[in-house]
Amino acid sequence: MAMSQRSTIDFNQGWQFMQNGITKLKNILEGTPETQFSSEEHIMLYTTIYNMCTQKPPHDYSQQLYDKYKESFQEYITSTVLPSLKEKHDEFMLRELVKRWQNHKVMVRWLSRFFCYLDRYFIARRSLPALQEVGLTCFRNLVYQDANGQVRDAVISLIDQEREGEQIDRALLKNVLDIFVEIGMGLMDCYENDFEDAMLRDTAAYYSRKASNWIVDDSCPDYMMKAESCLKREKERVSHYLHSSSETKLLEKVQHELLFVYATQLLEKEHSGCHALLRDDKVDDLSRMYRLFSKIPRGLDPVANIFKQHVTAEGTALVKQAEDAVSSKKVDKKDVIGLQEQIFVRKVIELHDKFMAYVNDCFLNHTLFHKALKDAFEVFCNKGVAGSSSAELLATFCDNILKKGGSEKLSDEAIEETLEKVVKLLAYISDKDLFAEFYRKKLARRLLFDKSANDDHERSILTKLKQQCGGQFTSKMEGMVTDLTLARENQTHFEEYLAHNSNASPGIDLTVTVLTTGFWPSYKSFDLNLPSEMVKCVEVFREFYQTKTKHRKLTWIYSLGTCNINGKFESKAIELVVTTYQAAALLLFNASDKLSYHEIMAQLNLSDEDVVRLLHSLSCAKYKILNKEPSTKTISPTDVFEFNGKFTDKMRRIKIPLPPVDEKKKVIEDVDKDRRYAIDASIVRIMKSRKVLGYQQLVMECVEQLGRMFKPDVKAIKKRIEDLITRDYLERDKDNPNLFKYLA
Amino acid sequence: MNKLGRGQRDKVQQFMLITGASEKVAIQVLKASDWQFEGAFDIFYSHPHLKSVADTRHIEELYNRYKDPYADMILADGITLLCNDIQVDPQDIVMLVISWHMKAATMCEFSKQEFVGGLQSMGIDSLEKFRERIPFLRAELRDELKFREIYNFAFGWAKEKGQKSLALDTAIGMWQLLFAEKQWPLEDHWCQFLQARHNKAISRDTWSQLLEFSRTIDPGLINYDPEGAWPYLIDEFVEYLNENGKGKTSEWNYTK
Repeated sequence: MAMSQRSTIDFNQGWQFMQNGITKLKNILEGTPETQFSSEEHIMLYTTIYNMCTQKPPHDYSQQLYDKYKESFQEYITSTVLPSLKEKHDEFMLRELVKRWQNHKVMVRWLSRFFCYLDRYFIARRSLPALQEVGLTCFRNLVYQDANGQVRDAVISLIDQEREGEQIDRALLKNVLDIFVEIGMGLMDCYENDFEDAMLRDTAAYYSRKASNWIVDDSCPDYMMKAESCLKREKERVSHYLHSSSETKLLEKVQHELLFVYATQLLEKEHSGCHALLRDDKVDDLSRMYRLFSKIPRGLDPVANIFKQHVTAEGTALVKQAEDAVSSKKVDKKDVIGLQEQIFVRKVIELHDKFMAYVNDCFLNHTLFHKALKDAFEVFCNKGVAGSSSAELLATFCDNILKKGGSEKLSDEAIEETLEKVVKLLAYISDKDLFAEFYRKKLARRLLFDKSANDDHERSILTKLKQQCGGQFTSKMEGMVTDLTLARENQTHFEEYLAHNSNASPGIDLTVTVLTTGFWPSYKSFDLNLPSEMVKCVEVFREFYQTKTKHRKLTWIYSLGTCNINGKFESKAIELVVTTYQAAALLLFNASDKLSYHEIMAQLNLSDEDVVRLLHSLSCAKYKILNKEPSTKTISPTDVFEFNGKFTDKMRRIKIPLPPVDEKKKVIEDVDKDRRYAIDASIVRIMKSRKVLGYQQLVMECVEQLGRMFKPDVKAIKKRIEDLITRDYLERDKDNPNLFKYLA
Repeated sequence: MNKLGRGQRDKVQQFMLITGASEKVAIQVLKASDWQFEGAFDIFYSHPHLKSVADTRHIEELYNRYKDPYADMILADGITLLCNDIQVDPQDIVMLVISWHMKAATMCEFSKQEFVGGLQSMGIDSLEKFRERIPFLRAELRDELKFREIYNFAFGWAKEKGQKSLALDTAIGMWQLLFAEKQWPLEDHWCQFLQARHNKAISRDTWSQLLEFSRTIDPGLINYDPEGAWPYLIDEFVEYLNENGKGKTSEWNYTK
């Protein structure tokens, strides 16, 4: 049997050797003059442990050494460390603690190197805590356990002093808090339970006190500035000495005390709260408000709400302003959209620009604020002014920009921009179909009377409308514009035809514009008795048109025509530019000198309304081509008319306008009719696909489907449903009258 | 028959007389209903195959009695005569019930098919039986389900041929007739409302929904749901009542 070469180390002997090493280490830590450990000393110490552990039982001293290792710390701490701490307080105590902790870590490091062999086998075999852990645990149990309360209080007190503006030793605090972290040995629970919780509570209390004073004394902007800077400083505090994991919790506490608790009071402060800031355009303060309130839960909801109220109020005030302006004007031209309404639309556009800028800049494009803006605009944009709906106002506004001699004189760029903005406003209007109809009517006028200022702009706005509202919205209008282009081509062909057919001579220069019925608004086409001169024209054109196509029927709309007529007055001949109706009336006077109202009406075969209008334009307006007996300002059926030979004007050519009939009522009627069809179609569409549907659901889906064009009235939907029941498209369920079934 | 007791035999006779059923059928049905008439009638009338072929010849004779001399139909005069014979006022609501059984297309006339078919389904082939049946027919109005069928039938029957809606006056007349049986407190207000505000014909949907309204909605309108699928006209009626003081029927002046 081979015997071990080594001689067995006796425990006490071995331990004495180790003890010397330990003492040397302590001296080094205490600062007593000592030489550093040499490598041999190190190796010797390590080897001693090794040997004592690998000796055969009963000389295997692992357990005892393990215990002794632990005792070494305990003894040192109890004899030296604790007393040194106990005699110090506050900041001094903190410093001492930091020093002692550093030392302890060094001690653990060195001793565990010496005793390292235990870590390898003994500890693993017995599943015991490692040397590192044992060492640190000693400090925790003997020092930290009792001292942490005091330490914590001292630290918190320093933090509060710093908050009050005093300078403190940040590095020290960092070191102290590192202890809390490290002593957790991988877990943050010491830091959190023994320090952080209390620190957070203290923070909350601190800011709660501050806030309760500030909220009373400070204006909203001032308060917010203070809040912002507090948050900034607390964030810095974390980076200076708190553990990074505290940041969220800390800021949340501060936000809670400063902002959440006082949110309502802050926003509603009478002269400096949210309303006031909006009113006074305090953009910076509002941006700050956004930044701060976006951090607290649901903090932005009340802000967005106040914003919405403010915008709504401003918008509604504009409406009222416009109403007042209109009603204070002379009640001369009722139902004609005038200057005040123009100004109103301009102002609404400006308002939109202004508040959109707020949403983009102050409120960083947040959806809540976009929605608030949208809701606000939807409220007042759907209020009409002086009996004209907002749809009509917008359409008229566009008309004024797009027509020649319109009230808006703007550069091309400005026009484009304005049109863009108008289209954006359209999004807020619920009666989009009404706008479309008004727009179409006015577009027709512009196109037919050659009043359109710029073709590119016309097309451009149609493109924008198409983008916003879909192709169906603009298809008819686009058709109208195309029609005009085609009409011009057609006219060229007509002229060629005339040149090649000498017998087809109308006798007068004739221009015809052929329109596609489906695209254009409907026009009454009365059977005006054409003057004989014009009858031939119509004939000739009809024949020409037959050569082009045999499948289409021409319906002549004389009410839209214009005529250049030569008036041979006594002093000089003047060319009159008039409508076809007016021309027809004037030509009657070639055959008779005097004509009564009734004679004129009979010969022209027009309605009273038309006759009154055209006679008024010729005898009671700016240019009196006809003399009227009696010469009152209005036309009555008993009047008699005579050609006014003495009429003259400095111009050689004058235009005698015929004011258009008010289209408003007709437009509204047409739109209502279309809506009924649209509702019917929608109901049938929905029921066809669902087969069976409850009433509420049906109404809801119908409203949603039609929402792009208009907001259907629930009563109207109900009426249509009943109509569809009568027409056997739907039936009520036998057992549940709230349920409808589709009848194929 | 021999195995039956005297009381039962009497019942069988009576049953046969009233329904025109054969003896065999009468016994079968009465046995099934435990010798209770009510139940027996129910069973008998809900099983058409039990009905005896009420003598078609007799029915045709009756038809010929009432038919118009110039048309193959029973017209106003014939109906007056019929009413006389069965001792019923022509305005009596039981005429509506009879028309319902006949599936008559329109009021004041019966086609041959309607008359014959109707009498057959009612198991009547003589005037005596007809007269005896009258109380039973009247009683049918008290049955909720039957009343509803009769009520809904009345719309098609009372309106003009070729029209989709019912003229207002006729509708009001019919309502007064029908609600005399049912006692709906708001009936007068409804008629007044129509005359004041509506003045147009009544659609079938409105007609049938009104019955539901009268049945389910409290006269004080407490359980009325304005968001519900009630016909438009009924919504307006409720508004009208509310305008005039919350439908408190006691505060109204009746002009009957």
